[in-house]
Amino acid sequence: MAGPSPHKPRRKAKRAGGNGPSNLPVIMEREALVRVPSFPLAAFLWPARSSVSQWELLPLILMVVGLFRWAAGLWGYSGFKKPPIFGDYEAQRHWMEITTQLPISQWYFHDLEWWGLDYPPLTAYHSWICGKIGSLINPAWFALYDSRGSHDPTLKIFMRSTVLVSEYLIYIPAAVIFVRRFSRLSGVPTWTSSVALVAILMQPATILIDHVHFQYNTVMLGFVLASMSSMLAGRNFWASFFFVMALGFKQMALYYAFSVFAYLLGVCVFPHINIPRFIGIALVTAVSFAILLLPIVSGTLSEASRGITAHPNGAHPPLPLFADLAKHLNTEAFYYPVVEQLVQMIHRVFPFARGLFEDKVANFWCAANVVIKLRNYPAELLQRGALVATLAAIIPPNLILFLRPRKHLLPLAFATTAWGFFLFSYQVHEKSVLLPLMPMTLLLAGRQGLGKDTRAWVGFANILGCWTMYPLLQRVNLRVPYTVLTLLWAYLLGLPPTSLNAYFQDGSSIWSQWATAFIHGFFYLTMAFWHVLDMFVVAPKDKPDLWVVANVGVGAVGFSLCYLWCLGSLIIESEILPTSWTGKKTKAKTQ
Amino acid sequence: MSIYLLAFILASFILILSPGAALQFPNGDPRQPGDASLIGTIATSWKRIPLTRSCLFSKSTDFEVHRNWLAITHSLPLWDWYYENTSEWTLDYPPFFAYFEWIMSQVAKLADPAMLWVHNLEYDSWQTVYFQRWTVIVTELVLVYALQMFVDSTHGVSKRAAQAAAVSILLSPGLLIIDHIHFQYNGVMYGILIASLVLAKKKSSLLASGLVFAALLCMKHIYLYLAPAYFVYLLRVYCLSPKSVFRIQFFNCVKLGGGIVAIFAAAFGPFALRNQIPQIFSRLFPFSRGLCHAYWAPNVWAMYSFMDRLLISLAPRIGLTVKVDALNSVTRGLVGDTSFAVLPDITPRMCFVLTLLFQAIPLVKLFMRPTWEGFIGGVTLCGYASFLFGWHVHEKAILLVIIPFSLIALKDRRYLGAFRPLAVAGHVSLFPLIFTPAEFPIKTIYTIFWLVLFLMAFDRLAPAPTRQRLFLFDRFSTIYITISIPLIFYCSLVHGIIFGKSLEFLPLMFTSSYSAIGVVGSWLGFMVVYFTE
Repeated sequence: MAGPSPHKPRRKAKRAGGNGPSNLPVIMEREALVRVPSFPLAAFLWPARSSVSQWELLPLILMVVGLFRWAAGLWGYSGFKKPPIFGDYEAQRHWMEITTQLPISQWYFHDLEWWGLDYPPLTAYHSWICGKIGSLINPAWFALYDSRGSHDPTLKIFMRSTVLVSEYLIYIPAAVIFVRRFSRLSGVPTWTSSVALVAILMQPATILIDHVHFQYNTVMLGFVLASMSSMLAGRNFWASFFFVMALGFKQMALYYAFSVFAYLLGVCVFPHINIPRFIGIALVTAVSFAILLLPIVSGTLSEASRGITAHPNGAHPPLPLFADLAKHLNTEAFYYPVVEQLVQMIHRVFPFARGLFEDKVANFWCAANVVIKLRNYPAELLQRGALVATLAAIIPPNLILFLRPRKHLLPLAFATTAWGFFLFSYQVHEKSVLLPLMPMTLLLAGRQGLGKDTRAWVGFANILGCWTMYPLLQRVNLRVPYTVLTLLWAYLLGLPPTSLNAYFQDGSSIWSQWATAFIHGFFYLTMAFWHVLDMFVVAPKDKPDLWVVANVGVGAVGFSLCYLWCLGSLIIESEILPTSWTGKKTKAKTQ
Repeated sequence: MSIYLLAFILASFILILSPGAALQFPNGDPRQPGDASLIGTIATSWKRIPLTRSCLFSKSTDFEVHRNWLAITHSLPLWDWYYENTSEWTLDYPPFFAYFEWIMSQVAKLADPAMLWVHNLEYDSWQTVYFQRWTVIVTELVLVYALQMFVDSTHGVSKRAAQAAAVSILLSPGLLIIDHIHFQYNGVMYGILIASLVLAKKKSSLLASGLVFAALLCMKHIYLYLAPAYFVYLLRVYCLSPKSVFRIQFFNCVKLGGGIVAIFAAAFGPFALRNQIPQIFSRLFPFSRGLCHAYWAPNVWAMYSFMDRLLISLAPRIGLTVKVDALNSVTRGLVGDTSFAVLPDITPRMCFVLTLLFQAIPLVKLFMRPTWEGFIGGVTLCGYASFLFGWHVHEKAILLVIIPFSLIALKDRRYLGAFRPLAVAGHVSLFPLIFTPAEFPIKTIYTIFWLVLFLMAFDRLAPAPTRQRLFLFDRFSTIYITISIPLIFYCSLVHGIIFGKSLEFLPLMFTSSYSAIGVVGSWLGFMVVYFTE
């Protein structure tokens, strides 16, 4: 962590709105002196430093990252030839099947056991569009029931292209715009921001999960990015609209909800209370939700009037949640199908009945489970414990963001909150690590983003994140893309295991440098050692999951450090504490 | 930027690309006859192409060819190598390549010994796929090294241009498509060629240049096409005195001649001991093959065949006689005889004479003014002549032109003007080599990326020429390049949507004719540049 004193004059200049050369980050000043790229990715883009406009560079960048995505997509997907129930790929394909083949009111009621639709409605609409297009090419891909578990290679190409196209329509424009705005805000030159953009788009975890393992996370992440980018531009109404869309695509976006709320509330309160803005944001949010639900509500109403019911057999089972509600409502009224529909949707989207954690996830609970058998405790106590721990983790960053609603704090606050959720909340999936990684990786585009300290921590989080997903990827034989994409990214950014370039920056405190290098070095060595163990040593018979559990334990500790680093940086960046404190505080947080 | 850095990125891209594909796309037998009914005469020559080509990644025919050669060289005694014919893909490269395969087979036996059984046809365990893919990547380091030599050999202002040219060769979509997707070892051999060309730059290493080229000839005989330029250049600058062409430098002649004899003896000697040379030559030069390859390489003969096809329908009206037996036999399959229905038949001798003629014209100039740039230009023009007029030319041979040309394309804007249509045409003509939907984005996006990046970079780096340029030519190349985009779009997407599986020959014919125009145009343009230099 950089000591506070060398930053101070620059930051003051920034706040004064100065745009002079004194405002450039240190790395650029040093580059100007030394004229050598400091890590391979900068070396690749080095020839584009001068005289190449962003509009020439951007198409090339987009082509290259697209090629990597598509090439990675030639690998297998989750559940490839793994009957009886296959994997995420089949889930997404199945949703295209049910949304195109069933009346809209039955989408959320169809067979839960075979990958029942359990994502919010925007995912369903997205599946419907993809399914309609796919049916034009080959109707057999989405034939009701008959298409289950299809492994048609052409279908795979179609499915891969839907992921790619969705990403290029949503995530990538959002990322490009966000990086432009954020780097301008931080006074980073265009060329440096292009380097950061490549680093962000080549993030291995996202490619591995979306394009190889198969999911549409980037659509949700893209809406969140669009929302953050609107916040940077000061368009708070758009920010809330995009965030509702993100929530409507994947409930996982709730990880960020507190930060969005804290920021938008903050801008309504500070520097002076702005009631019209507050009302406006509230209205836009409500209207966005209404737009989101409109197709399914109107579809249900019109189908109910035509006698198509949500339950194919015409039965009227009680409401799955809020069963008392039915007592107050007339079950024969015209609006009742809508109520039933919405309750069912909530029931599907938020499966409260599941356990604290499903699989082996590198979060606090799963790691703690190794020491104390958490399953022996009553579920209610655990739920309450998770709630308290999560709140304790997310309140500090959001309080800071509320009190200091500054644009340059957004990525840090989002990352801290998402780490808090990932580590302590209920029902976490290992793929959820993408959520904290996304805003944390955005730090690369900020002030000092490509400097050693930020690069080391962002790199550490990403590589650790990929590493904790290795057991998941290995199950579907994706070791090669895992190795190649992770090492490539590490190489591009000059990170271990390919280089030690990101450590020992001149000009910051020697203690924090050694601490960072030591901690990271320990984790990188552990990861390497773990890979050797996993590959060559068979786990003892009575503990078949030993390696996975070790992975989870190490991952949880590492992620906690990332949480603390983000929180520490947030505290320093927000200048919420008196400056005399922060030096001490930093060390306490990073070590 | 160092080329070595770039090589890492490229290697990781290829790594992620190829084995993944290999594992995910098990293909049918590539060599099934697929005897579709003949729709019209033009159709016959074009529509078989997809059938003769294997479905990509894992089992391209060349993949099996090289596996078979590994097996032959590993499990048979030396003197059986050129007689073995269990697989139809017999060993038809010169001995150094066979030795190269033998060396690789020593490693291959650690990976999976089963791939080394001669009778184990079409074997493609994942170890085999990985091993073979890796050998291509690792041996391509020779190319990386040679390119670094090239960059190091230039100084001053042209250094950046040399770097750009080197990077463009390393990232060439031609090499990606042919070596890493289709499967061949061009990377290593073009590396040796470039090393030899760079060695020719300095007087002190001229001998080494000649010997390296001789060794390359013993690896792949296609480089014989470039040999006339080497012969003329080395003769003039190494064997004859710089001051007078009538004074012979005897000691240099002895060194060069002795060295070449020694290299050929090392390659062919063991076979000569048992009188196998005629057998080797019958394998290396199979004149029984047709004039055009199954898929028409974009050269003069493709245009000629196309004319013939057109004349068949016109013949009755203008009173020409049509040879009936030729109608159904146009370039059928891999090894077929080409006969023309209206136009006169072409014999290998005619091809040979035309090729030599068009090689000789620039070489006269090279003999008169032997500079290194002139030499590279001469090599390029030899490549052009053989590609355009050669017998049974494969579209992959376009690299024989593109790669030497890249080394001098940045000399000035006139050179660049001639290079541009070639870069577009040459790479577009390789598209039909790989054709599945999964590969479509890779070949097109990669090629477009390469073209945008390098045509843009070259445009900035090429200095203004000292002589007047032909501006008409610039117009031509701009229009030409622009047409490529709708063409690619039509051939890959629109055609399939409109016609489905029917008229499959149309996109291929468009691609080939389009590319032929580009290659011929760029050849004419470069001839003009070369002679006005």
